[in-house]
Amino acid sequence: MSDEEVHVTGDLGDTRSDGPGATSGDGESGGSGVSRGTGPGGTTGGRPIATLPAARLDDPHMQASARYPRRVEGIIVVFFLLGIAGIAAFGVAYIENASTQVYAVTLFVGLFCLGFGITAWGKYLMPQGPFVEDRHPLASSDEQRAAMAAALVERTGVVVKRRKVLGGLFLGGMGIFGVVAAFPLIRSLGPRPGSNLFTTHWKRGTPLVDQTGKLVHRTDMQVGGVLTVFPKGWQTTTTAQAKDQVVLIRVQPTRLTTRKGRGTWSPDGYVAYSKVCTHLGCPVGLYEQQLELLVCPCHQSMFDVRDGCQVVFGPAPRPLPQLPLRVDSTGYLRAQGPFDQAIGPGFWERTTTGNGPASRTEKPT
Amino acid sequence: MAVSTDGRARTRREAKEALGPFGRVQQAVNELDERIGIAKGGRVLLDKIFPDHWSFMLGEIALYSFVVLVATGIFLTLYYVPSSTAVVYHGAYRPLDGLHMSEAYASTVNLSFAVRAGLLMRQIHHWGADVFVGSIVVHMARIFFTGAFRKPRELNWTIGITLLILAIFNGFIGYSLPDDLISGTGIRIAYSILLSIPFVGSYLAFFLFGGPYPGGIILERFYIIHVLILPLIIIGLIGAHLGLLVRQKHTQFPGRGRSEHNVVGSPLYPTFTAKTTGFLLMISGVLGILGGYAQINPIWQFGPYQPPKISYAVQPDWYMGWLDGALRIMPAWQWTGWGHTIPWEVFLPAVIFPGLIFNICIVWPMIERHFTKDVALHNLLDRPRDRPKRTAAGAAMIALLFTVFGASSTDVLANYFHLSLNTVLWFFRIAVVAAPIITAFVTWRICIEMRRVPGAVQRKRAVIISRTAEGEYVSAPAAERPGDEHRELEPEPVPVRIQLEPDGDEYREPATVLTGEPGVRRVRR
Amino acid sequence: MTAIPRRLVRNRFALPAALLGAVALSALLSLGSGASGAGAAAKGTHSGTGRSSSPTTTVPRRTPGAANFVNTKPKVTATASACTRDAQRIGYKSPRNSGSPQNSTYRVCSHGQVLRYGDKYVVYERPPKSYVAQGHKLFEENCSSCHYPTAQGSALAPSLRGVGPATVDFWVTTGRMPAATPLQIQAEDKPPRLTDKQAAEVAAWINSLTPSAPYIPVVNVKRANLTDGASLFALDCASCHTITGAGDALAYGTYSPTLHLATPQQVAEAVRTGPGNMPRFTGNLSDKQVADVVAYVTQKIKHPNDAGGFGLGGVGPVTEGFVALLFGVGGLMLVGFWIGDRSS
Repeated sequence: MSDEEVHVTGDLGDTRSDGPGATSGDGESGGSGVSRGTGPGGTTGGRPIATLPAARLDDPHMQASARYPRRVEGIIVVFFLLGIAGIAAFGVAYIENASTQVYAVTLFVGLFCLGFGITAWGKYLMPQGPFVEDRHPLASSDEQRAAMAAALVERTGVVVKRRKVLGGLFLGGMGIFGVVAAFPLIRSLGPRPGSNLFTTHWKRGTPLVDQTGKLVHRTDMQVGGVLTVFPKGWQTTTTAQAKDQVVLIRVQPTRLTTRKGRGTWSPDGYVAYSKVCTHLGCPVGLYEQQLELLVCPCHQSMFDVRDGCQVVFGPAPRPLPQLPLRVDSTGYLRAQGPFDQAIGPGFWERTTTGNGPASRTEKPT
Repeated sequence: MAVSTDGRARTRREAKEALGPFGRVQQAVNELDERIGIAKGGRVLLDKIFPDHWSFMLGEIALYSFVVLVATGIFLTLYYVPSSTAVVYHGAYRPLDGLHMSEAYASTVNLSFAVRAGLLMRQIHHWGADVFVGSIVVHMARIFFTGAFRKPRELNWTIGITLLILAIFNGFIGYSLPDDLISGTGIRIAYSILLSIPFVGSYLAFFLFGGPYPGGIILERFYIIHVLILPLIIIGLIGAHLGLLVRQKHTQFPGRGRSEHNVVGSPLYPTFTAKTTGFLLMISGVLGILGGYAQINPIWQFGPYQPPKISYAVQPDWYMGWLDGALRIMPAWQWTGWGHTIPWEVFLPAVIFPGLIFNICIVWPMIERHFTKDVALHNLLDRPRDRPKRTAAGAAMIALLFTVFGASSTDVLANYFHLSLNTVLWFFRIAVVAAPIITAFVTWRICIEMRRVPGAVQRKRAVIISRTAEGEYVSAPAAERPGDEHRELEPEPVPVRIQLEPDGDEYREPATVLTGEPGVRRVRR
Repeated sequence: MTAIPRRLVRNRFALPAALLGAVALSALLSLGSGASGAGAAAKGTHSGTGRSSSPTTTVPRRTPGAANFVNTKPKVTATASACTRDAQRIGYKSPRNSGSPQNSTYRVCSHGQVLRYGDKYVVYERPPKSYVAQGHKLFEENCSSCHYPTAQGSALAPSLRGVGPATVDFWVTTGRMPAATPLQIQAEDKPPRLTDKQAAEVAAWINSLTPSAPYIPVVNVKRANLTDGASLFALDCASCHTITGAGDALAYGTYSPTLHLATPQQVAEAVRTGPGNMPRFTGNLSDKQVADVVAYVTQKIKHPNDAGGFGLGGVGPVTEGFVALLFGVGGLMLVGFWIGDRSS
């Protein structure tokens, strides 16, 4: 087998042995014989070379998997050239400030062809193998496991046994630290909710304005009209918009079902409801005038506008809170007071209310 | 040739010979080895065997799309401004000129129109995120159906599920950063979901948002979570995931020469390196073409987010779609009493349902161990049909999630098929219960059927019946078709060295390539 | 700071140019403010019409800007009071409503009948009287079977008396009328059976029965502001039609149609008349706002800037997710299928 062998001076070092069950690195490895030839030998003036058995190129495992490797090589050459051209074209396109589509196509051609080429090289031309590697059991021996557990338990035992007070105090200290460390991390993030979720800027006599700040007159809308309105002065800040937004609709007065205690809330057929959906807070802007239905665009909760926005379909649990309206002496629409209940989605502190004045008004700042 | 007496090389040839047969590479290895000691471990690493089955490539899709995400993400961070401050837009896109908008939105529009290749990078990033989560799900399904989560890989399974959760969250936060009309609506919904948590909901919501909605700081916080906090955790977990994979070695399907105690496939260097590098390039290429030809999230068409505005047909990105669908089909059950409210119509589908699903996934190895009483180590994979109950359970879970995902596009489906919206919603309410049950049963039956028939879904071999002159019938199997013979060589250890120069004078192409010498076989694909 | 005035004075052209510029600027500003002030709330000073209240804020009445906008001079101008009486009869009941003759800055009347009204943003025109006869014929052939020959409606279709020419023109030019199935919850838009001229003829005949507003709008998109249009669209229109105007399903089988086929006239008609389940925007939107929305829809909704590639229908994450999973993940899985082995 081996004509020339280099004699080693140091560790023979089969670098593959890593535990029981590994195969040895010499010629008796399993499977069909991998013939080991010699390599160029010769001592050098420097480090001695270890004896390393070599596989021959005509070994079946060393062959390419393609039937006609030269042909495949040619194809890969074409792909590499395409890839280079593509990447270069991308560079040119970038310099020329081309459109997004040109960037994409050049990048795709370049990267994909290069990738295809090198993958094909690895798949069809590199040694096909298959090769095997042994798994060494991950588990250590029983003695080693016992030793580890013993070290943990007994050393801790020795230390703590004599100094119980210290151990307990230290653990207590770490515990307190863990709890208190959360305080700045969490508490400093924001303010407590307080009464913020219960209040809006609507109060008695607040004029209605649209998003441009224009007051709403009773003659502005016809039956079937819809408008997003805000309390006057609050139509520009997003925080106020988020909770004060109201959808104003005009229906035929004869088609309104007046709920108990709300007889005066809808002058001339104008009804106003909080635009914040009681499901998840999306603005309920979708009004179908013939069905007289407000539909929330997010999850399609449907509210009956004639009947206090009772929920007729969908996941919303409560009707939209209604804003009581009145017409002032000059014909402009104003609120009679705040909403009949807290607006928006549900939360733990939210109380159930019927028609009462549970919603309070924010104090003016 | 002997070296000079004083040991120093005088000529070029001597210098070359002094290096030894492996040249400067040996020198480099020696230098590193003396400092770090890489030679022994590195040598083993180069021989690391990776099984070659195609279904093992799915995790790579996830890994490399994450690489693309980080690369394009770094580009985006150089231009995006994470600020809720209102500015007036005067830029390239005319319909927004003069409009008040957040600086975040303005910078994203600027990125799309004024930064060279900005729109390409934005879109590659977004497609990359969709593909990232999609490939994680597909990879997770492969792990599940082949039983690769069993001992000793339960920890890796848990890390994987955690990565999925983080990827979903990071994706949601990422597409909320531009502060456009549609993603802003999503942020409002997220706020309300936080509110719905009993006892602490309002506090959590106010703390995260820095006050009542919209707060004015959520974009800044989302930004740092999206580019720093979550990516750090994800990168760390990916490292742990791959580290465990290297330590425990990859699983493999049973086959010739494969056992519980070995791994058969191609070595890390050079074969696997070539294939995986190529895959990285191809994934980048595919994401690149998607990023330029398929428009995604055209925020300039949506306009900036303002609380009273909303669009219809607003669904979240697909990996959040199952939550949106759950929210739509949930009946309006809320509990009120003693001065408090528990909004089950939000809390159940948006908090409890996903929590339940993820927790079932995480503890599945324990569930299966409980039912199969199997605590052995498994390095060989199952064929899904060999585990009908597990496959049926997985199929049922997929059917449930798919139905809930479909429920998020009720309006789009109703519009496309000209049906009533209400009818479509009721269909999904029923389907979400019926589909998993039917799917589980059907899958279970199919698995059992497939197991009964050996060689199912494989090409059948014809049997040729010939009649002899005496009238006797003889049957014999037909010859194998040309493409059907799949003979693999017996697996060999990776050779330490390869003899590059042949014996003899001239180099010849190994004769075994074209001739049909026995003992040498082509592996058919 | 003394360098600039010194330079101004020294250059013989600088100072006169600056003075001229200041004068021109102030003139423009005063004109602009006058226009916006007048358009928003026109005052009515009509006598005795039965309205219970009128706004007490006085707004300066603007001189009609007809010469600025309309090419042809009005043929006959009746006395103000005669025209006004008719305008009241046919208009919306309040002077604050936009899109009605009362508060329009300009009206053209003939023989006591309002022919057209509006302002520099939208002009509402009545179909010519000559259309009435032909319109009657067309109505009898196409509409009377459901709407009854006198347009008073039946069990199958509502009455058309008093709906105004814009309403009729919208339903007919979009093809919704004649309806294929009269008892559907919503008539579908389809290729129109009648031409635009024929639609105007039908509108003329119906209007002749009960003269009514609004007339058929002609929108001047050149004066429109795209940004305002985008903002208004997002606030008022996107919640039904989607932000890209793609349309979507609404409750109980109704739906909002796509806006990609709408003409400027149809958009304005729909906004002002509120067809079907669509809400009606009258005084809550000024003519300028209507023009802004029309400009935005006809320019940016119908021709969206799809700089990123194929628009994928404009429906958002539903199609995007489909593409990502099918082509992205699926395509890459195919690549992986090629790279890897199949098991034996």
